[in-house]
Amino acid sequence: MENTSQFCHERGLPFLEARALSKTYQVGSSTVHALREVDFAAMQGDFVVINGPSGSGKTTFLNLISAIDRPSEGEVLIQGVSTNTLSERQLAQLRKDKIGLIFQTFNLIPVLSAAENAEYPLLLQRRPKIERAERVRSMLAEVGLGELGRRRPNELSGGQRQRIAIARALITRPKLVLADEPTANLDSETGAQVMDLMRKLNEEHCVVLLVVTHDPAVTKYAKRQIRIHDGRLIEGGQP
Amino acid sequence: MTWWIPLRSLLRNRRRTLLSVAIIALGTAISLFVFGFLEDSRLQIQATTVDEYGNLQIASPDLWDDTTEDYNYLITPETEAQIRQLLGRRDKITGITSQLQFPGLIAAGNQTQVVRITSQVPENDTLNIDAFVIAGRPLRTSDVASVLMGRSLANRLGLTVDDVVTLTLTTVDGAYNATPLRIVGIYRFTSEQVELRSLFMPVAFAQRLLNTSGVDRLIINLESISATNSEAASIQRLLDDAALSFEVRTWDDLSPFYKQLSGFFDILFGFLTLAVFILVFFIILQVLTLAFLERTREIGTIRALGTTRGEVLGQLLLESGWLAVIGSVTGVLLGFALSLGFNALGIQWQPPGTVETSVLSVQIGLLIALPPFGVSVVATLLSAIFPAIQTSRLRVVDALRVE
Ligand SMILES: Nc1ncnc2c1ncn2[C@@H]1O[C@H](COP(=O)(O)OP(=O)(O)OP(=O)(O)O)[C@@H](O)[C@H]1O
Ligand SMILES: [Mg+2]
Repeated sequence: MENTSQFCHERGLPFLEARALSKTYQVGSSTVHALREVDFAAMQGDFVVINGPSGSGKTTFLNLISAIDRPSEGEVLIQGVSTNTLSERQLAQLRKDKIGLIFQTFNLIPVLSAAENAEYPLLLQRRPKIERAERVRSMLAEVGLGELGRRRPNELSGGQRQRIAIARALITRPKLVLADEPTANLDSETGAQVMDLMRKLNEEHCVVLLVVTHDPAVTKYAKRQIRIHDGRLIEGGQP
Repeated sequence: MTWWIPLRSLLRNRRRTLLSVAIIALGTAISLFVFGFLEDSRLQIQATTVDEYGNLQIASPDLWDDTTEDYNYLITPETEAQIRQLLGRRDKITGITSQLQFPGLIAAGNQTQVVRITSQVPENDTLNIDAFVIAGRPLRTSDVASVLMGRSLANRLGLTVDDVVTLTLTTVDGAYNATPLRIVGIYRFTSEQVELRSLFMPVAFAQRLLNTSGVDRLIINLESISATNSEAASIQRLLDDAALSFEVRTWDDLSPFYKQLSGFFDILFGFLTLAVFILVFFIILQVLTLAFLERTREIGTIRALGTTRGEVLGQLLLESGWLAVIGSVTGVLLGFALSLGFNALGIQWQPPGTVETSVLSVQIGLLIALPPFGVSVVATLLSAIFPAIQTSRLRVVDALRVE
């Protein structure tokens, strides 16, 4: 694997930018301002933890960045390209090739084995079988589950599931990984293992890591911390 | 994207999938069984119809239209020879014979009965009725004033072999003629109508009675029923080219009974097909709607991972495709098993309008399986389209929020 540590700390154009990002929801006759004019930037190799009380807009923020939702105002730029300008199909391509997602509830596909879950994004990319097998093998080894590839998700513990989900998020070697409360469903020890793994991946694979968490134990892994309150980013928006 | 993920998705809920497969299979099997039964009946009726009429008949349009009172449609021996020569080299023809039919009145004691005399060449291979004779003997070329009578008519008139009846008829010149006829044999046929209506005698004697040397039709047998239409068209062209104003009729043109029955079978099968279609469509629609709905979050997840709407739609349709194929193939096998079992029972019955019992049986074959198979597959796929489109168009964030 190439040595990326120098590349990781490269300065210059931000990898990811949010400009005056707002999202409102219409609930009946009232308008919910889930996110208000958030400005944010992250450089290559950044590891950012996002804190904030429940309902403050953290998930909304991640959804807009991963472009599974569209902003009401403002824009998200990934490597300088505004996601507002991309079609549905191009957004799917962006997520498939450049973004890894980790969910609070793991969201593994129950009918696929652990290895197949990790392989799924490579199937989407239509990678050749030999390459897929090789990458799955090394990825599972990296998350420490080399032996459990044949198990179905319901035959794995929570921590094991989340590690498979991490393997799935990283197998395409994305440049950006978004995790929404990845340790919320894990005990503190397993949570620490998962965060160790995330830090290792951040350092070795040079991914931009955005992790939403309530957990102070998780926060200490980050290089940087931002706070969202009532839809506003109140601290640490710039690198 | 892959063929196996949809298959696994389908099999995840065993009970529900089993239920869906059972419904599709049952619909397919019933439809297959009924279709096989109708086709078998149709084939049997085809065979008896061809026994009665031959494959093709050639006659003057006047005979077919039934417009003339006199006998101006008769075919002279010279014309008959000309037609036979035209047909001589056609290799699908297995036999040609001629007939002369006319109405008459039979009197026996104080009973009378209107009949139709079919006079034909005795001992010919083409429309040979010898096998139908159940008492007395078949007609012979040397027979004079002899007749074969149907079993039902003989019973009705209380007649038997060697009894004599009187036949009254009109000659081609319009004169009355009457002659005694000896019953040399009694024949049976599947159709009671035929047994009551038709008497058979040698054509040479009939020509003497009618005072003519002509016949009214040529009857052609072919090597197979399936060759009927193409051969009819070719022969018609030959006749037209030779400026002979004769018209070819096929066995199914000639038998209004077959036409009606065949149409009735088509309607019956059409209704059944529609019922199976509706049953499968609505039940599978319910099942798939629920199955896809339960998977909302999973669909949201794969969309978030970069699966396009089109790919999701493709996978869901593929899943229902698997269901359709598994269900329908199971149904076809089940239907075949049902048919085999039924055929093994050898149930006897007497079809309406017939005097013979026959063994009930069901046709089995890939061609029989195709329509029921196709209907089930199409019904299943159609039922999947709407829920699949709906599911593939879910907003990703909403789908992910579903618990
Ligand atoms: N689809 C929606 N329709 C209406 N309101 C919504 C929708 N999604 C989010 N909201 C509202 O937007 C606000 C921000 O929600 P969001 O899920 O981003 O909060 P959060 O910071 O992730 O909270 P938590 O820590 O509980 O996960 C909340 O008030 C929420 O009720
Ligand atoms: Mg949240």
